Amino acid sequence: MAPTAPPAVAIAGLSKSFQSTRALDRVDLTIGRGEIHALVGENGAGKSTLIKILAGLVQPDAGEIRIHGKPVEPHPDTVPIAFVHQDIGLVDDLSIGENVALIAGYPRSWGMIAWTDVWAQTQQTYAAMGVEPPDPRALVGTLSAASKAVLGIVRALSRKVDIVVLDEPTASLPGPDAQHLFDILKRLKASGTSILYVSHRLNELFGLADTVTVFRDGRRVSARAIGDLTPDDIVRDMLGRELELHNHALSPVAVGKPLLEVKGLCVGDQGPLSFSIAAGEILGLIGLRGAGYEAVGRAIFGVTRQSAGTVHLAGVEVEPGLSISDRIARGIALLAGDRLRESALTGMSLRENLFPNPPSDRGRLWRGVDRQHEDRATRGILDRFDVRPRNGAALIDWLSGGNQQKIFVGRWLVTGAKVYIMEEPTAGVDIGAKGVIHTILKGLAADGAAILVVSSDFEEVASLCERALIIGRGTITGELAGASLTLDGLIARSSLSAPALEQVQ
Amino acid sequence: MSERKLSNSALNEGATRATAAPPRSTMHILSNIVAIYGLLVVFIFVLIVFGALRPHSFLSVSNVNSIMVSQSVTAMLALAEMLPLATKQFDLSVGYHLGMAQILIIGLQVQQGLSWPVAAGMILTLSVLVGFLNGALVTWLKIDSFIATMGVGTLLYGISNWYSNGEQIVGMSLSESFTNMTGIVHGLPLPALYVAVLAFILWIVMERLPVGRHLYVIGSNVRAAELTGIRVSNHIMGAFVASGFISGIAGIVLGSILQTGTPSVGPEYLLPAFAATLLGATSIRPGRVNVIGTLLSVLVLAFSFSGVQQLGAPFFVQYFFNGGILIVAVGLSVYAARRRQRAATTPKTA
Repeated sequence: MAPTAPPAVAIAGLSKSFQSTRALDRVDLTIGRGEIHALVGENGAGKSTLIKILAGLVQPDAGEIRIHGKPVEPHPDTVPIAFVHQDIGLVDDLSIGENVALIAGYPRSWGMIAWTDVWAQTQQTYAAMGVEPPDPRALVGTLSAASKAVLGIVRALSRKVDIVVLDEPTASLPGPDAQHLFDILKRLKASGTSILYVSHRLNELFGLADTVTVFRDGRRVSARAIGDLTPDDIVRDMLGRELELHNHALSPVAVGKPLLEVKGLCVGDQGPLSFSIAAGEILGLIGLRGAGYEAVGRAIFGVTRQSAGTVHLAGVEVEPGLSISDRIARGIALLAGDRLRESALTGMSLRENLFPNPPSDRGRLWRGVDRQHEDRATRGILDRFDVRPRNGAALIDWLSGGNQQKIFVGRWLVTGAKVYIMEEPTAGVDIGAKGVIHTILKGLAADGAAILVVSSDFEEVASLCERALIIGRGTITGELAGASLTLDGLIARSSLSAPALEQVQ
Repeated sequence: MSERKLSNSALNEGATRATAAPPRSTMHILSNIVAIYGLLVVFIFVLIVFGALRPHSFLSVSNVNSIMVSQSVTAMLALAEMLPLATKQFDLSVGYHLGMAQILIIGLQVQQGLSWPVAAGMILTLSVLVGFLNGALVTWLKIDSFIATMGVGTLLYGISNWYSNGEQIVGMSLSESFTNMTGIVHGLPLPALYVAVLAFILWIVMERLPVGRHLYVIGSNVRAAELTGIRVSNHIMGAFVASGFISGIAGIVLGSILQTGTPSVGPEYLLPAFAATLLGATSIRPGRVNVIGTLLSVLVLAFSFSGVQQLGAPFFVQYFFNGGILIVAVGLSVYAARRRQRAATTPKTA
C-alpha cells in the first residue's frame, strides 16, 4: 500500500439513533486498500446499521464517510460498494448469466438483449476474479450453496467496484464450501479489492482477516491487527468483560429417564447428531441464525425426512416414514419458527386456531366437533395465558404477535403432547408474552414433558434451558449444562469452536 | 442480526402498547355485525324495493316459484364450487360438468332407453371419477387448479358434444317420475327442497364436523395445516370429488327441468355460481366461503335481476349483472383479506 494513498473506506464519528435507541455512537472504521477487515459484535451491536448506512438505505445522524479519500453521502443507486447479504437474493429460476445481468445490466444491441454478450459477460466477471466460470446458461437453482455464495459475490463485483461488504456470507455454508469461499476472498484481496467481512464465526477470521473491529452496544470497542489477537481477546471485547462461564443462579437439574432419544440423526446437511432429552428437561439446541439446524427438530416431527439415524420416544421407535399426524398422535408437537407463515390461520377465530385439527376426533373426520369442550378449553387457555382479548371468537389477526404466539403454544398443549419442539418460541414477542411463554414451558416440563428449544436467541436458551447443545456446521460442537450454561458461554461456544474451548465444561 | 433485533424491539413496543390499551373491539364488533348480516339486509332491501315498485308481479307466487326453480341449479353449482374454494382451489369444470350430466340424463333415457335411476347412477359414478381426476391433477401432479379444472372442463364439453353430435336431444316420452322430480308439490318447488337438503348437509359438514374445519384451515394457511397434522392432499381430493358429485346432481335436476338435452348448456352457469360463492364469502362468515352466505347471494342475485327485468331491462343486462357482481365480490374479499393481512403483519398501535 502506498503511504500516500487514502484508505478505501474511512468512517469517522458516525452516529445513528432509532427513536430512543442509540444504534451507532460516534463510530470510526478504516478499511485499507486490499485489506480484509472483519467486523464482529453481538446481535444489536450496530453492525447492520453501519452496513445500511454504507448502502445508503439509512441516513446517519452525524459523521463522515470517505471512499478513496472523497467524502460521500451514500445513495443506494450510486454507492461504489458491492454488498453481498446473507440472503443473497438470487433468482433460482433464472440462469446464472441472467442473475449476473440483473445487477450488471443486460448487454443490448438494437435495443434488444444480446444473449451471446450476456453469457460472455458472465464468463468475464468470473474470470476477472480468477474463478473457473460455470456454464452461464445453467439455472441458479442447480448450484450448490457455496457456488451460489460465489455467484452472489461475482455478481456484486460485476459493477466494477473494488470495495465489497460481505454480511455473514458463510452462515449457511457447510465447512468445505466455506473454505472454498475463503480462497476466493483471498484471491480478491490479492487483486486489490477491499473487503468488509461481517461474521459471527470468530474462528474463520484467523487466517483470513487482516484487521478485526469489534462493536458493542453501538460503539467501536477495538480495532486491531489480527496478529495481536486471540479468539479470547475478541470474545472479551464483544462482551465487555471477562468470559463468565459459570452460572451462579444454578437451578437443580432434575434428570429423569430419557423420553426422547435421537441417535445418529442425519437430515439434509445436518448430522449425524445424537442426544436425548429426559422427561422434565428443557434442552436448548442453539446455533447461528441461517445455519439450518432447525431441520433436526423438523425431522423429529416428520416435516423433513431424515436420511439416517433413529428417534425413540419413550423407548418406542418413531419410524422415519411416520406422518406428521401419526407423530402428533404419539405425543410430538412442533411450534414452527415462522409464526405468520407456518402457524397463523389468518381470518380464523382463536378457538379455531387452538383447534385447527380437532384432537378428540383425530382420524374420525365425521364425528361432530365437541364445541362445548372446545369452548371450555379455549376459555381455560385464554385465562391461563392471559391472552388479550379474552374472547375465543376474536380473529387471530387482531392479536399482537405475543398473544398470537400464546395461542400457537396453546394449540399443542391441548393435544396433550409429551415432547415439545419449540422453534424460536419468543422471537418477536413482547416482554410480557415472553415471560408467560417461558412460564408455560417450565410448567410443561415440571409436568413431565420433554422440551427441545431450537433457538438462536442465546439469552433465551441461557435463562430457559437446563442444558444446551451447540450446533456448528451440522454437528454438536459443544454442550453446556447447569452451572456452565451461561450467556457468555453460549456466545463463546457458538462463535468459536476452538478445541481449547471444547474442554470447558 | 442487529437490524432484526431492532425491528423486533420496535414490534414489541407496539405490541405492548396494543395489549395495554383496551382492544379495538367496539369498532370491530360494529363493523363485524355489518359484515355478517350485510347480505341479509341487502336481500330484504331488494324484496321491499321491487315489491313496492312492482307490487303485483314481483312477489307473486308464480314469479317466486319460477325464480326458485330456475335458481336451484345455480345454487347447487355454487355449493359445489364452495367446497374446493374453501381450500383456495378453483373448480372451473363445474359448468361443463353440469352440461354433460344434463345431456347424458336425457340422452341415456331417449337414445339408450335406460330408466332414469340407472342413467342417474351412471352419471353420478362418472361425476365422482371426474372429481377424482380434478383432484389427482391438482394434488398429485401439482397442476394449478385453475388450469387443471379448465382443461378437464373443456374435455367434458367435448364429451357432451361428442355424445350428442352437437345436436339437441329432445326429451320425448320421458318417464313421469323423472319430469315430476322438479315439479311443484303443494306449492313447494321441489328443486328448492333439494337445495335446502343439500345445503343443510353441507352446513353440518362445514360448520360442525372436523372435516369442514380442516378445509377452512387448509384455505387459510396450507403450510400451517400440514404442520398441525392435517392430510392436505386427501382433503383437497375429497373437496373436488364432492364438487363433481354435486355438479352431477345439479345436471340431472337441470335435465328434469329443461326436458331436453342441449350440448351448449352449462358454461353460462359457471360465472353466476362463482359470483354467488364469492359474494357469499363477504357475509355470515366474513372472509370465507360459507353455505348460508352462498344461498343468500344466489337469492339476492336472482331476485334483484328479476326485479330489474320487470322494470323493463333487456335480457343482456344479466351479463352486466353477473360480471359486475363477480368483480365487486372478489374485490371486496381481496380488500378484506388485505386489510386482515395488514392488521396481522404491521405492529399494532393502540
